[in-house]
Amino acid sequence: MEITKALDPRVQACIRERGFTRLSEIQSEAIPLVRRGDNLLLIAPTGTGKTESAMIPVFDAMLSREGPGFCTLYITPLRSLNRDMMQRLEWWCRELGLRVGVRHGDTPQSERRKQALSPPDLLITTPETLQALFMGKVLKKHLAHVKYVVVDEIHELAGSKRGSQMAVALERLAEYAGEFQRIGLSATVGNPEGVARFLCGHRKFSIVSVPVARHIDISVDFSGDSFEKQGAWISRAISRHDSSLIFVNTRVTAEALGHLLHDRGDVEVHHGSLSKEVRIEAEERFRTGAAKALIATSSMELGIDIGRIEHVIQFGSPREVARLVQRVGRAGHRMDAVSKGTVLATGFDDLLESLVIARRAKAGQVEDVFFHTNAADVLANQVAAMAVEYREIPVQKIREIVGRSYPFSDAGDLVSEVCTQMAEHGLIRVEGDYVRSGGRSRRYLSSNLSMIHDERKVVVFDMVSRKTVGTLDESFVVGFLHTGAVFITRGQLWRVLDMDEGKITVEPAKKAKGELPSWEGEQIPVPFSIAREVGSLRRSGNFEEYHAGEKPRDFARKFLGEMEKNRTPVPDDTLITLENAPEGVVCNVCAGHKANEALGRVLSILVAARFGTTVGIEIDAYRIYLRLPSMVRAADIREILLGLDPSHLEGILQLAMKRTALFKWKMVQVAKKFGAIDQDAEYEKISIHRLIDLFEGTVVQKEAYRELFSVYMDVPAASQIVSLIRQGSIHVAISHLSLLGAEGLFSSRDQISPPTPDQAVIMTLKRRLDQQEVILACMHCRKWKSRTMVARIPDSPKCPLCNAGLIAVLKPWEEPLIALAKKKSQRTEEEIATEARLIRNANIVLSGGKKAAIALAARGVGPENASRILSTLAEGDRFYQEIIKAERNYIRTRRFW
Amino acid sequence: MLPAIPWRLETVMRLTFLDRGPALIVEESIRVLVVGDLHLGIEADLSRHGLHIRSRSRERMDRVVSCIDSEEPDLLILLGDVKHNVPLTSRQEYRELPGILDTLRAKVPIHLVPGNHDPGIERFFREREILPRTGALIDNVGYLHGHTYPDHSLQGHLIISGHHHPLVTIRDQVGCALRTPGYLFAPVDDRCLQFPHPEEDGAGKTRVLFIPALNELAGYDILQTAKEPFSPLSRCMNARESEVFLADGTFIGSLLSLEEHGDHEGT
Repeated sequence: MEITKALDPRVQACIRERGFTRLSEIQSEAIPLVRRGDNLLLIAPTGTGKTESAMIPVFDAMLSREGPGFCTLYITPLRSLNRDMMQRLEWWCRELGLRVGVRHGDTPQSERRKQALSPPDLLITTPETLQALFMGKVLKKHLAHVKYVVVDEIHELAGSKRGSQMAVALERLAEYAGEFQRIGLSATVGNPEGVARFLCGHRKFSIVSVPVARHIDISVDFSGDSFEKQGAWISRAISRHDSSLIFVNTRVTAEALGHLLHDRGDVEVHHGSLSKEVRIEAEERFRTGAAKALIATSSMELGIDIGRIEHVIQFGSPREVARLVQRVGRAGHRMDAVSKGTVLATGFDDLLESLVIARRAKAGQVEDVFFHTNAADVLANQVAAMAVEYREIPVQKIREIVGRSYPFSDAGDLVSEVCTQMAEHGLIRVEGDYVRSGGRSRRYLSSNLSMIHDERKVVVFDMVSRKTVGTLDESFVVGFLHTGAVFITRGQLWRVLDMDEGKITVEPAKKAKGELPSWEGEQIPVPFSIAREVGSLRRSGNFEEYHAGEKPRDFARKFLGEMEKNRTPVPDDTLITLENAPEGVVCNVCAGHKANEALGRVLSILVAARFGTTVGIEIDAYRIYLRLPSMVRAADIREILLGLDPSHLEGILQLAMKRTALFKWKMVQVAKKFGAIDQDAEYEKISIHRLIDLFEGTVVQKEAYRELFSVYMDVPAASQIVSLIRQGSIHVAISHLSLLGAEGLFSSRDQISPPTPDQAVIMTLKRRLDQQEVILACMHCRKWKSRTMVARIPDSPKCPLCNAGLIAVLKPWEEPLIALAKKKSQRTEEEIATEARLIRNANIVLSGGKKAAIALAARGVGPENASRILSTLAEGDRFYQEIIKAERNYIRTRRFW
Repeated sequence: MLPAIPWRLETVMRLTFLDRGPALIVEESIRVLVVGDLHLGIEADLSRHGLHIRSRSRERMDRVVSCIDSEEPDLLILLGDVKHNVPLTSRQEYRELPGILDTLRAKVPIHLVPGNHDPGIERFFREREILPRTGALIDNVGYLHGHTYPDHSLQGHLIISGHHHPLVTIRDQVGCALRTPGYLFAPVDDRCLQFPHPEEDGAGKTRVLFIPALNELAGYDILQTAKEPFSPLSRCMNARESEVFLADGTFIGSLLSLEEHGDHEGT
């Protein structure tokens, strides 16, 4: 205990009292560094004494410091973690005579006032509440005394806009408090240096890291693909252990599994949609042993203390290595103990993915944290915050402060762009080199302390199954839906039957019309690297290398055997298969969600451009399903895919995303964070689509693109696939629909509309002309006439009586002319002219066939116009464009307006 | 060649559709430029409702000016709702309206048929520029904003009307939509419009042409308007014999042809 001897005797006494006989590995490494004053990133699994590693030396230092104001800020991403930390740190503070307080959104007013009057030495808070502290006069003063900032679960914050916002807040804090010591606590990440830089900016730092691989024992199992069998497997696993934590990927699964295991009586469910009371009670029952198992979503990933967990079950693939490591790390909550976890795979894709992720977890190959660099809406938010904080501040000063933070260290001229936009919509004023707060600034800030997209939800109720399908954001509903509208959520089309306060009633829809807005559920994307490795495992079939047990192995082999039996090639990392399905083409591409999203959208845009139709797309990590009209088949997709140039993808997407509901929706969100749209805006005042057009070319649009191209799709990865196709390293084969192609589709998204509005105009014209009633009259025997629709006219119409092809095509109101033309004697000049016209009409039909008939059915198109149109030899859309031109001309000059 | 059209006129009337307005040139013995629903000052109202955007009045004026410069009309008729905020006139309107109207006046004589958003507009116009709220007949064509019953003198004429901000939605085969400003033309029933000596049912010559709003933020789907009419003209029109055009004059079909199609098989 060399290390502890140097500490204040009071701290030493506490350590003894807590029963620490020796320090954990991470504690003995970290404590000296913290004492030395280093900025430090601590990486270790949950339950290894991370918090104490940071706080023991910080407490020690706090004891030797007298003074007003907050001395230490302890920031966590969740209120529930705040509660938990408060309970853990309160004891230490009481023993050491330090004052501790917690402050977040739920903190009562009385408590807040107390904190303002007599600030605690240690304040436990959230990033959002830190933002609020800058707004209060008194609190701001207390901030000037901060010497230590500890950021718990920093990996959770670093990859989000919340994190970018906090990074700027820490630099704003440094303006008051001077330099303070920064300590970050993190789960295992692929890029520790990046996370450390996120915490410290350009400052020096140290990293202490405990490798995760030594601490976890992960296996993968399979129990059949029915939910009941899976439930039975879980039930047996629960019985075999004292305590189990069961992670699922969605709330819906949590509920379903909870329902299935309900009769056991010792299983609790825990997820974000449940009320705080219900959650706390579930945690309590588990902690005390009254419940043996807890079913949880990601809400339980973070270090909330629920007592000892013997076994972690992951239901279905965890999608990411980081997630699996984090979740399994919850087991064996005792220092140095090994965490035991099992992934129960639910299908073929799921199994292979789980095997790959488990292998990577054991090898310590965790994904990198992705940072939101140069997020313009975060910057706007912080510019407004600083305008309010300082009332007026030089633009140069803003540049300096945000430029010190890692996410904006390379922001270039973004600050000016953002200021210009904000001044334009009147949130701040820019006068010369100064930014001043405007009339709305403060109000904006109070309702935009958080970068979390947080909105009122509307329940979606399915009339047919009489079940709740899910929830949608209110502004999505108001902006994009109306009675009769069709939209996509949970991989299905729905039609809105009724809209009510807080609830919309829907029925399943079969066919879409109109632009399809879609709503994404709780999707966790599978990274590119994992999907590629799954492809390689499909190819090698070497399940032994992945330590797959007998049951999973047999299942996977049987599945691949079926594929062979059906003579459908197995798509893998070197083979893309395009399978003709009843309503489109399934493209099997092992590239992960984001790359497939990018590739799928590019394909659909190009199909739309080439064939002039709308294309629906649905994607998952291994497939792109293109919903197509029957004329487009796999061979066409192959041709497009082989013709792709990897360097063109981004440009194609830029152009086409603009028309999607996803993009428009993103724009609304960004515009809100920019303060151009208030949180409680009355959307019905104006069409959202029109409003969005007004942000064309602005920094708001730029940010929407940035987010789309980083959060929703991975263009570089898609380009890589395309390059591999070009080099011949990936082959493209055509097949009929296989077992694999048909599996687990339907995580549906947007539609891509055809490239020009002309397409829609031409379709409308075609439809109108097809339904136009016409009179066919034989000008040869002159005995036959018939009333029909243009669509029913054969390619070369003939008279059924005399078999001649001299057929005039007339509009219904021209029918009387036929009688005039029949007259043989005593004809007026007009009658003679009429006959000549009808014969001319019939001659055009004789030479032009149905095409002539179509032209003659158009408005104001007589024989002269028709022969002019036919003489252009225009085909397809261009033919119809000629008709539109003729009609337009006629309408312009017609005399009967 | 053409069958007798009941409302065929003595003189030739020509309409030119100006896509870049959208605006309309009506030409009989003089050239009239018709501009509907400017709604200048709409940004102030949106801001009160939580949507903050900078004023686009200047761009709107430029569109009108460009139509004037290229078409050289003899007269500009503003078909109502030149301003937006009611009952009070916003600061934005006080600031912007005088300059914009002076710019237009300097180019061409202007007339206003006041609309429902125009209380208080008098201060910005000269008295002789303001036509009656219930419409006026100029060069044989009726001009009316469209929120009121038309003056009796408009009976038997083509009435050009604003107020309805028609938007046309058209779809392609798979169902993607194009939503764009357009025109709606339809015969209207004299009796329904409370004309004193109505022609027998359907035989009247009165007809209406609803023109799109120049303000790009305004718009109602015409199908919705037909389903739930909100004005005398829209209540009295004969949708069956209506005609729909895009802003550039492309003929689309009747209102009925725009009704939803497909999607019914199997569901």
